[in-house]
Amino acid sequence: MTSADLTALAPLLAVLGVAILVLAVDFVLPGRDDLAVALGVVGIVVVGAVTWATGGGVDGAIQSAFGGSYAVDAATTFLDLVFVVIALITLLVAPDYLGPRGLPFAEFTVTLLFAISGAFLIAGSADLLVLFLGLELLVLPGYMLAGFHKREGLSTEGAIKYFLLGSFSSAIFLFGLAFVWGFTGTTRIAEVAAALAGGPLGPGLAMGLAFLTAGAAFKIAAVPFHYWTPDAYQGSPTPVTAYLSTGPKVAAFALILRVFVESLGGIRAEWVGAIVVLAALTMTLGNLVALTQSNLKRMLAYSSIAHTGYILVGLAAFAAEPAGDPSRSGLEGILFYTAAYAFMNLGAFAVVSALQRRPGVTSEIGTYAGLIRREPVAAVLMALFLLSLVGIPPTAGFFGKAYVILAAVQSTDPAVVALAVLAVLNAAAAAFYYLRVVVFMFMREAPEGMPPVGLGGILRERRLFLLWTGLAAAGVGTVVLGLYPVPILEMVVKAAAALVAPG
Amino acid sequence: MTIPATVPVLGWAWDDLLFLGLAGILLGAALLVVLGRDIIHSGLWMMLCFGALAGVYALLGAPLVAVAQVLVYVGAISVLVLFAIMLTQSKAGPLRLVFHRQAWVAAIASIVLFALFVVVVAEGDWPQRAAEVTRTATDQLARLLFNDYVLPFEGVGVLLLAAVIGGVYLAKRDPGQGGSL
Repeated sequence: MTSADLTALAPLLAVLGVAILVLAVDFVLPGRDDLAVALGVVGIVVVGAVTWATGGGVDGAIQSAFGGSYAVDAATTFLDLVFVVIALITLLVAPDYLGPRGLPFAEFTVTLLFAISGAFLIAGSADLLVLFLGLELLVLPGYMLAGFHKREGLSTEGAIKYFLLGSFSSAIFLFGLAFVWGFTGTTRIAEVAAALAGGPLGPGLAMGLAFLTAGAAFKIAAVPFHYWTPDAYQGSPTPVTAYLSTGPKVAAFALILRVFVESLGGIRAEWVGAIVVLAALTMTLGNLVALTQSNLKRMLAYSSIAHTGYILVGLAAFAAEPAGDPSRSGLEGILFYTAAYAFMNLGAFAVVSALQRRPGVTSEIGTYAGLIRREPVAAVLMALFLLSLVGIPPTAGFFGKAYVILAAVQSTDPAVVALAVLAVLNAAAAAFYYLRVVVFMFMREAPEGMPPVGLGGILRERRLFLLWTGLAAAGVGTVVLGLYPVPILEMVVKAAAALVAPG
Repeated sequence: MTIPATVPVLGWAWDDLLFLGLAGILLGAALLVVLGRDIIHSGLWMMLCFGALAGVYALLGAPLVAVAQVLVYVGAISVLVLFAIMLTQSKAGPLRLVFHRQAWVAAIASIVLFALFVVVVAEGDWPQRAAEVTRTATDQLARLLFNDYVLPFEGVGVLLLAAVIGGVYLAKRDPGQGGSL
């Protein structure tokens, strides 16, 4: 191991270091939740700084480590920073929900950080073996987090469904990788890409591709592989839902970028059809079912399925590019969308979580009636996140949608152009159920005798201070990505260029 | 007495015969694991399954993996699984399996998938087909494990740590909860 290896691995080592530190401190001083919160929050900020300082976003150079099994390029650094943001906002929002329910915070922090280390491994993997290991390291803590509220039946039920379908889909994905290995004789992503360049698609590889697609579609919750999503999201403690709807989803898209774009990009003409169908089904079904939901967590679960569909539009736009020197705007759209989605979706779930701070409060839509008079700031923030999820300018969600849809419109493939039209129609239909919540918050009277939410004591209660910091971070991200997206766009362009070398 | 070069009458290589035997045991035991009504019997069949898989590894020229399979899976994990079953089994549970309602659909899907696999494996042009089994020496394996593959190797360590912490948290009894064990 050389110092170059260490530099490349620094973000991963940092996040593991913080996890083990929290674990050790909790072992020596058990039950000190405030200490765990402080270490977790400060630690993840340090991880972010390390990622920024050592990452490939700085000079654009690719650092490869361990005989080329792990590589840090601009895409790795961009995705790692998105994961850091997701972890940070989740850690800030969680104490206010977990505390009143008597759920331990140290275990939560440690498990979340292990999951993030898995996401880092996926983002930086240059080897299919490392990639699969990262996937397992990402999802295994996720199952446990889904069942974190173990005295509640719904949480356990959601966790079991997530676990069973999740491990099944991991096995399917691994089977697909085995086929790719059998056909190309290597697990290195660059070598797989070289072995596939120009060759016709044999039946063995087609089978592998089918399994990979099914496995990845499970992980991103694309229709018809989405059945676990609503139950897992609704049953989990709300801050966990916030994490599950963003962290594993962005990481699964990182996996798709590494497997489908980087190693199987040469044969993209073979898989573009499947992606177009998946994207169309996912957007449409996600939005249609979300229209009928009265529980906000379940509604946001279906909405997150619909957003998977929008991101897949970006993938389809890239995949429809002719061989040779493809336009990378579809990939840039995917990367930008993941960042925008992380901020706005985390924000929306954070508000849901904040309103549920008293145990027993549900996430039914009636809870939001008259929120503008009861908790004006929270109501305004929720409206901001929902408008961003609709895609109204000048929010992050608008730029994300515009990016993927424009990439699809410019495609030469008529199917992808039709997909762009479908995405616009879907976005319009989706406005209905998001705005219904806004109507409830701003125009309905709160029913008599509804207890106050009690988000006011920001300076008295440390948990509330953290919660508001998290909400503010999500809000600022949502607005900044919409008003001044230039720095992020520059990173995104670099990251996409790292994924698909020009020429 | 010398052993003939191929299997008498059939004319197969010995390796093929051994593989067919082991694969038959493996699949039969796996079916019994899934179809059995008694979960303890399922656990015992699973041990046979693991054992047959160790034989396949040995046949493929990976004796170290085969030994590890016997030590870890047949030895440790099966015993652990049996213990877990005996400690958590509830007599009040349903006798019939809960998930049997869609058995016909599942059977049809499995048969179609199996047919597809047969076609693909038989027709597939596998560029990496090995002419004969090459043995992997243990020191070569160690060298690879601690050089090129050290990252996955260490990653598995982190994965196991995360799994243990998660498992302990979920299984741990809360202080307020009454003893049920």
